[in-house]
Amino acid sequence: MSYDKPIPTQGTHTKPFWQGASEGKLMLPRCVDCNRVHWYPRHICPHCHSMNLEWIEGSGRGRIHTYAVQHLAFGVWAKEAPYVTAYIDLNEGDRMLTVLRGVDPEKPEDIKIGAPVVVEFEKANDDTYIPFWRVVEE
Amino acid sequence: MPGPLYKAAAIVGAAEANEIGFLKTPITALQLHIEAIKNLSEQTGVAISRIEGVFSTGWSTELCEHLGIKPKYIDTTSVGGCSFEMHVHHAMAAIHAGIIDIALVSHGENGHSANKIGGRGASNYARGAGALSPGVEMSMAYGLGSAPSNYAHAMVRHMHRYGTKREDYAHIAKVTRDWATLNPRAAMYSKEKHPFGGPITVEQVEESRVIAWPLTILHCCMVTDHGGAVLVTSPKVAASLNTKPVWLAGAGESMGHGNMLEMDDFTATSAGRSSQAAYTMAGLGPSDMEMALIYDSFTITAAITAEMLGLAAPGEGHTLWKDGHAAPGGKLPINTNGGGLSFNHSGMYGMPLLIEAYRQLSGTAEDGINGDTGKQTSARTCVVNGTGGSLSTTGTLVLVADD
Ligand SMILES: [Zn+2]
Repeated sequence: MSYDKPIPTQGTHTKPFWQGASEGKLMLPRCVDCNRVHWYPRHICPHCHSMNLEWIEGSGRGRIHTYAVQHLAFGVWAKEAPYVTAYIDLNEGDRMLTVLRGVDPEKPEDIKIGAPVVVEFEKANDDTYIPFWRVVEE
Repeated sequence: MPGPLYKAAAIVGAAEANEIGFLKTPITALQLHIEAIKNLSEQTGVAISRIEGVFSTGWSTELCEHLGIKPKYIDTTSVGGCSFEMHVHHAMAAIHAGIIDIALVSHGENGHSANKIGGRGASNYARGAGALSPGVEMSMAYGLGSAPSNYAHAMVRHMHRYGTKREDYAHIAKVTRDWATLNPRAAMYSKEKHPFGGPITVEQVEESRVIAWPLTILHCCMVTDHGGAVLVTSPKVAASLNTKPVWLAGAGESMGHGNMLEMDDFTATSAGRSSQAAYTMAGLGPSDMEMALIYDSFTITAAITAEMLGLAAPGEGHTLWKDGHAAPGGKLPINTNGGGLSFNHSGMYGMPLLIEAYRQLSGTAEDGINGDTGKQTSARTCVVNGTGGSLSTTGTLVLVADD
């Protein structure tokens, strides 16, 4: 079945991320001068304002920072409701948004802030593999 | 004789993006902005982190978020090619007023590259901002859209951090409805006015339909129609009018992020900074405030904002409502019109806040009928706080009644 939900439009400076994603790698922008990872990808380091940026392969691991269960959704996502959205604290620092996998949207109290998650990629089209995060055992 | 703004400010540097003209490699307008700002910083030796005011044709949120600036003054005047001269004018006024010392006026426009970037949705993407900024690129796949879908994440984090229960916040919806029942112009004034109007209980709030867990529909504001306006004048003009003045004692503004992906602390907003600026300007503090008007897009918005305004300790915002202080007859009335939850919320609720603040402090808030005591309070001071976006931007005013 083909991917029918919204697919990101790729930017002029985010190609390494999408290239990595198609190879199953979570590529993250890091500042060469202050060594810090940031997300989303910038033209300039938001921490020290250096423009000396590079891409590194992340561990693909993180933890739940917070979450919510979407009961009222729109467009193609409506047929998926309820589903759990979450912000993920990356092990490398900073935060990503996801639709969380490996959880029961009918039991939101069972989802634990701080629970470990790993990334996985779903093919949306030939150029776009979208990262999603799944709750795993500690 | 020179006017009061004579030499009130100066332009101290000017720079451009690395490459300009007909660029071979298409570039976004966002990148043109960022390169010029970086070069300006190097030319002047003024670190980007020292910028206090950001002036641009609609780009200021995007620029502040991208650069990590927490501004004190945000201007997005966009009225064509003369906008930038106006930005300088506005910056001059803000500097003269003592609100900021360092203002950035920025421009980035890819008239040539825009035609080469994109395809579908090219006009948006080509700009590299707003609907298709890199932040949106990295969040658009994940089924968030409406305001509650975003705000629910803050509520879960707030509950986790402070050990509160959803029911604690439900008191905010219940008490705010109590105010609405004193205001015949409130959409939820009565059962006669609206099938779901009239008083509600905490249990009803809890048991209503789930929109984005933990938010049920009665934790959410309405979507209505509203029109309003206020007039601001000099003291001299104010003295010549028949209406009572309500004095602007203090004002402040700031932002934390545009996209919720960039919200550092899900239990706090920039209202901490914007209210501090407003209190400082007024020479007053939270304990001097006799009432509050707080944008209550959701119950969680009101709870967090009350904490940010210093009206309650962190994690205890909801107790103002739960313990009855914010309710009719309470010691700190809040959202006396019935709020965005039960009075009116057309999408952007900042104007109803101003109107109710004027009415309360000018003694014209009495809408009671048929012997109702109505909603007029005896407050002489009021803190007003608007919140925009996804708990993104805040503006705070401290208002005082005329002597
Ligand atoms: Zn850096």
